[in-house]
Amino acid sequence: MTPPAQAAAEREALAPLPLIAGRPTDTQLNTELLTPIFTPSQGWKALVTLAALGTGLLGVGLTLTIARGIGMWGNNQPVGWAYDIINFVWWIGIGHAGTLISAILLLFQQKWRTSINRFAEAMTIFAVMQAAMFPLVHTGRPWFAIYWLFPYPNTMGIWPNFKSPLIWDVFAVSTYFTISLLFWYLGLIPDLATLRDTATKKVQKVAYGIFAMGWKGSSRHWQHYRIGYLILAGISTPLVLSVHSIVSFDFAVSQLPGWHTTIFPPYFVAGAVFGGFAMVLTLMIPARAAFRFQNVVTSRHLENMAKVMLVTSMIVGYGYLMENFMAWYSGNPYESFLFFNTRTRGPYAPIYWAMIVCNVLVPQTFWWKRARTSVAWLWIASVLVGFGMWAERFVIIVISLHRDFLPSSWGMYAPTWVDWSIFVGTISFFSLLFLLFLRFVPSVAIAEVKELNHEMQHEAAHAGGGGHEKAHAGVHP
Amino acid sequence: MKSLPVIQDGCQPRPPGHRPLWQSVEELESRSARPGGEFAPGASEVPPEMSRRSFMQILGASAALGGLAACQPPREKIVPFVHEPPENRPGKRFHYATALALDGHATGLLVGSADGRPVKVEGNPAHPTSQGASSTWDQAALLDLYDPGRARGFTRRGAPLSFRGLLAEVQKLARGHEADGGARLAFLLGPDASPTLAALRRRVQARFPRARFHFWAPVTDENALEGARIAFGRPLDVRPAVDPARVILALDSDFLSGQGDSLRLTREFARHREPGAEMNRLYVAEPAMTPTGAAADHRFRMRGGEVAAFARAVAAHLGVVPASPALPPELARAARAVAADLGANRARSLVLVGPRQPAAVHALAHALNGALGNVGTTVRYVRPVLGDGAPSSGALPALARAIEAGTVDTLVVTAWNPVHAAPAGLDVGALLARVPDVLYLALREDETSRHCSWRIAQSHPFESWGDARSRDGVASVVQPLVSPLYESTTAIDLLAAFVDAGDRGAREHVRTTWAARAGLDPAAIDAQWNGWLRQGVIPGTAEAPEAASVDVAGVTSALGRLPAARSEGIELCLAPSAGLYDGRFATNAWLQELPDPITKVTWDNAAWISEATARRLGVETGQVVTLAAGSRSLQAPVQVVPGHADDAVTLTLGHGRTDGSPVSKGVGVDAYRLREAGAWFVHGVTVTPGKGRHAFAIAQGHFAMEGRPLALDFTAKDWSHDQGREELDHLRGPAATAQAPVDYSRQEYAWGMAVDLSRCTGCNACVIACQEENNVATVGKEQVAKGRIMHWIRTDRYFSGPAANPETITQPVMCQQCETAPCEYVCPVNATVHSDEGLNEMVYNRCVGTRYCSNNCPYKVRRFNFLNWRPEVPDVETLRFNPDVTVRSRGVMEKCTYCVQRIEGARIDARVAGKKIGTVQSACQQACPAEAIVFGNLNDPQSKVKRLHQDARRYDLLHELGTRPRTAYLVRIRNPNPDLA
Repeated sequence: MTPPAQAAAEREALAPLPLIAGRPTDTQLNTELLTPIFTPSQGWKALVTLAALGTGLLGVGLTLTIARGIGMWGNNQPVGWAYDIINFVWWIGIGHAGTLISAILLLFQQKWRTSINRFAEAMTIFAVMQAAMFPLVHTGRPWFAIYWLFPYPNTMGIWPNFKSPLIWDVFAVSTYFTISLLFWYLGLIPDLATLRDTATKKVQKVAYGIFAMGWKGSSRHWQHYRIGYLILAGISTPLVLSVHSIVSFDFAVSQLPGWHTTIFPPYFVAGAVFGGFAMVLTLMIPARAAFRFQNVVTSRHLENMAKVMLVTSMIVGYGYLMENFMAWYSGNPYESFLFFNTRTRGPYAPIYWAMIVCNVLVPQTFWWKRARTSVAWLWIASVLVGFGMWAERFVIIVISLHRDFLPSSWGMYAPTWVDWSIFVGTISFFSLLFLLFLRFVPSVAIAEVKELNHEMQHEAAHAGGGGHEKAHAGVHP
Repeated sequence: MKSLPVIQDGCQPRPPGHRPLWQSVEELESRSARPGGEFAPGASEVPPEMSRRSFMQILGASAALGGLAACQPPREKIVPFVHEPPENRPGKRFHYATALALDGHATGLLVGSADGRPVKVEGNPAHPTSQGASSTWDQAALLDLYDPGRARGFTRRGAPLSFRGLLAEVQKLARGHEADGGARLAFLLGPDASPTLAALRRRVQARFPRARFHFWAPVTDENALEGARIAFGRPLDVRPAVDPARVILALDSDFLSGQGDSLRLTREFARHREPGAEMNRLYVAEPAMTPTGAAADHRFRMRGGEVAAFARAVAAHLGVVPASPALPPELARAARAVAADLGANRARSLVLVGPRQPAAVHALAHALNGALGNVGTTVRYVRPVLGDGAPSSGALPALARAIEAGTVDTLVVTAWNPVHAAPAGLDVGALLARVPDVLYLALREDETSRHCSWRIAQSHPFESWGDARSRDGVASVVQPLVSPLYESTTAIDLLAAFVDAGDRGAREHVRTTWAARAGLDPAAIDAQWNGWLRQGVIPGTAEAPEAASVDVAGVTSALGRLPAARSEGIELCLAPSAGLYDGRFATNAWLQELPDPITKVTWDNAAWISEATARRLGVETGQVVTLAAGSRSLQAPVQVVPGHADDAVTLTLGHGRTDGSPVSKGVGVDAYRLREAGAWFVHGVTVTPGKGRHAFAIAQGHFAMEGRPLALDFTAKDWSHDQGREELDHLRGPAATAQAPVDYSRQEYAWGMAVDLSRCTGCNACVIACQEENNVATVGKEQVAKGRIMHWIRTDRYFSGPAANPETITQPVMCQQCETAPCEYVCPVNATVHSDEGLNEMVYNRCVGTRYCSNNCPYKVRRFNFLNWRPEVPDVETLRFNPDVTVRSRGVMEKCTYCVQRIEGARIDARVAGKKIGTVQSACQQACPAEAIVFGNLNDPQSKVKRLHQDARRYDLLHELGTRPRTAYLVRIRNPNPDLA
């Protein structure tokens, strides 16, 4: 190989992988990305059935809980919160990646987001739906909690306690859900219009037509759309930080060792992004294979997500380190005991060590490109991280509660089958919603991908020589 | 406002001769279509819309019909007071003095009655045994009253009898025995010091000279009485006084809990647990840790059979008896030191022996007390109040022999459950079946009722007239609080029926007895009688001390006859259960759920063994082992208990019932199956590890304090040298805070509490008192195991030092009523808020049950209603609920309120009287025999609680969290013997 050719080859190796493989035309993209909607597969039906059955389990669990009481769960004294709040925080955390990918990467003009943002946003909304269930059903008397947690004027002059982080949760989660939903829907409108225009069945035409809200794709529409989308992105961005910060206040504001930590807000946000990206990968990798989206969701995307996971894993790891450092440095005997005895050697120590392995050690493999680009390992790692983040919440909630200040009140916690039903049920319900989403809505933002495609071809034309005019002349198919 | 038309169209008289005219064809047609309407002209027609009349009709009808809805006949019978008691005020609590006897010895009580329902048992301050305190058993008697499983009515061979019918049948039966002087008539009675019953017994005996009375109970004082017989030549009862004692040696004597005089003794003991010259010192020698052992300054663990040798060594050092066989070096040193300490405190020392020890040890104690000059100061001797009715373990075998000989045709059983509690190998059930007429008087259907041809429901003491005597001899009239809930009768009525006086009523019998004693006419004792009822004690009935001299030679020879303590094999120690006693409280859910004072196990008993023995046998807590004594064996789960003697197993009586209420059935194992008549220690037991596992429901699983400053103790020496007080200063005083705390000093009241750990013995009286006062639910074994016990106050128990024989400390923990409460700011709905008097208040109605408050409570005193416990409460039991306290439903958090209902009750009374609130006692404080809990107004400089808050021993639990608790703790002071350090 000649030296210049070798240099070129080395450059090639270092250059980022393309965001869109091949040079598809708009029509090709349309066809490819809308196939799952217009031609459903048998596998989809089987999965929906499975997910629906699991959702039934959720119904059973919740019905029992509401009818008989929290006693159906394993919660007790001293472990007042367990699977309920673990699941809440876990799902809320998963719900973070979507908005992060959509809004923050949009504002930072990270183009690689376009192929995955829709997917991630849908995941956000469905995850927040799972999470939003728990603040209500984990109460002893949800029929009162459903409205007493909101500030409404009443003759008794009783208001919620605005000092309680649980009230902040109510506002934070409901705001986040609303904004995420609007953001997702706004982003969907051009694609819904595409669907309306390509659909062949009357029902589909009408339904998509209604949801497309009369989108014509005119410049005026695009101008307003862009402004609206940016505004929502701007509103969402602080929410990404605030929601999980506020969720972390549920713990940080209390005085329980293991909860009472000022590092919690950033550490929770990083953990949420970490867990959220892991969930995106967990879902994206099979979907990509099933729907043959490899040329829009390329290795580049997967690799970028792996990098984000590596960074957030290290932030989370730093959080763990700092917690331990502060426990030692503060000289607080209760904290020291929790961090250096209960967690590491206590009855639930395996879960603690599993958390360390999954959240700190496993992502370290992403320093190697081979790990980042191996789809199988990425999937395994992201599943492990998903479990690790669940374990982290178990460590924070159950391990801190089960051995606190007075050894006389120490106790153990064991989940019941109802706990498991609700946990498995939320996963099923999430999957059900997600499968419906894959079936009825474009799971990749077609308009944005097309736009990116144009930009890339435009840039390629510039790079290919022939001057500006040529580049601008022939790239509009 | 809309005006309604008046019906008048058509009412107007038509002008005569007027004919209707029409102006157009259409008008004519429209008229002919409706020729004159439905009604004749002149009749008022209903206007098309609502008229005033119809409006009034509807208004009247709805008022009338609305009223009718209330005319439905009531579903339940409503019986108003025919004669309303003049003092009755709805909602006002009345207290009646009465007494409860356990094994024949009475405690004076005041029972609170709300609207005719007994709802709270309290001690009678005027009664010497109670002095205002009450034990767990006294308190829990209330639940027995409302037990839905109580026996009801009377049956003979399955056929129901009315009360009159019963009396007639019994009288007929009795007449049949007259001919042979009652030779075939026998009575199996429980111990009872009631003078009325004694008088009736004498009358029965007079009518049936050959009838036999057998007095029997599973737990007896026969060893003590026999010991007195050895020492003094006659049975005398020891009345110890702990107050003047500076050195106390308790030989296997759990005098601070258990039966007998524990309330009074605890009070006297606790009074001298404050640092100073008056502080007493307690030595305890025992096999399994008891509350007394936990309270001891020195506890020597030894097998039950070794206590005699230890006592003998002590006595030998004091020169009371000749030197004894050698003890292990450690115990020998202990015996020397104890003897020296006792000897240095002549007339101010006390040697106590528990009922389980053989008679010779009791006799030795008499000799010791005599030699130490304690008689008259710390020890008095009185005639036993049970007199000739003292129970003996031999009574049941004697009766069995008589039945086997076929000499019993009629047997009257009032003793508690002889079939269950019979010695192993004695099949009382089969024997009872051989007797044609067995009359069994019992509060509940139990294992014995099944074998008895006559089942006679007994009235609860709170429903009965009677009389009782305390160990001191002080007599009380037992008066009913409520008429019997079920058709039932009393032992007095039943016995009276044998002398044809069953229809006189127990009250008349009691009045007659006491009129005779007072030398008055029964008809003319109203003034005295009412005074006795009001006071709860009959003055002048206390037994006078007897002079007695010890026959030392007899004692020495009795000691010589004692079998030598055998070192081989394992010794089985039986003991009454802290909760269930001999099993008679097994149907009481409060007592079943009450954590054992030492092991904290609920709803179970276990084979307690020491750590070393467990290691040697290769067993661990929860493992099921087979205990075999001779030909008998029993499977029991093991629990490793700190401080237990090695090579010994302790098993408590009272569990493992096979019949009766679901509360007791199959809970724990039945230790009676290994017990010979009256035996407490069984030698040469083999323990075979099994494979089975048993899950205990332990209320406090962790024993160690993990080096945290929670329940603090100092030795008296360190305390007097100010050692460690600096450490204490970090645990009190203003906590560092960024926020200025609320100033409560200008309030009229600032409620606070002080708990003196020096006084607390962990007897659990506070726990049951709180449960009774505050309608605290019981949840059952499964839920306790899940960590959902509901007690608002718990006695934390920590061990420190070597596991073989640790130091124990107990600490009652209830809501600390923090001024800056961590629970309050985290509640999203403001369901827990602060009062301006400093109470941390729980608003049940507002609570949605997030449990955040509990998570944030560092003391973990909050209790959540994980399920709805209320439907599990039988209907009749709902009568026991304190009407002043909300019964909580599921999904609601609850916790100690400092008995806010009592504060508010006192406030109402104070307002009516135009005064400040005087003293308010919380329920736990009221029950505490040790006076360890003091509640009151911190803004009153004269109050006791204020003084204790300023005490040098005061500290706050988890002070560094800045919660500013209103409950202060006072460190425990131990008073170890410097020679044994």
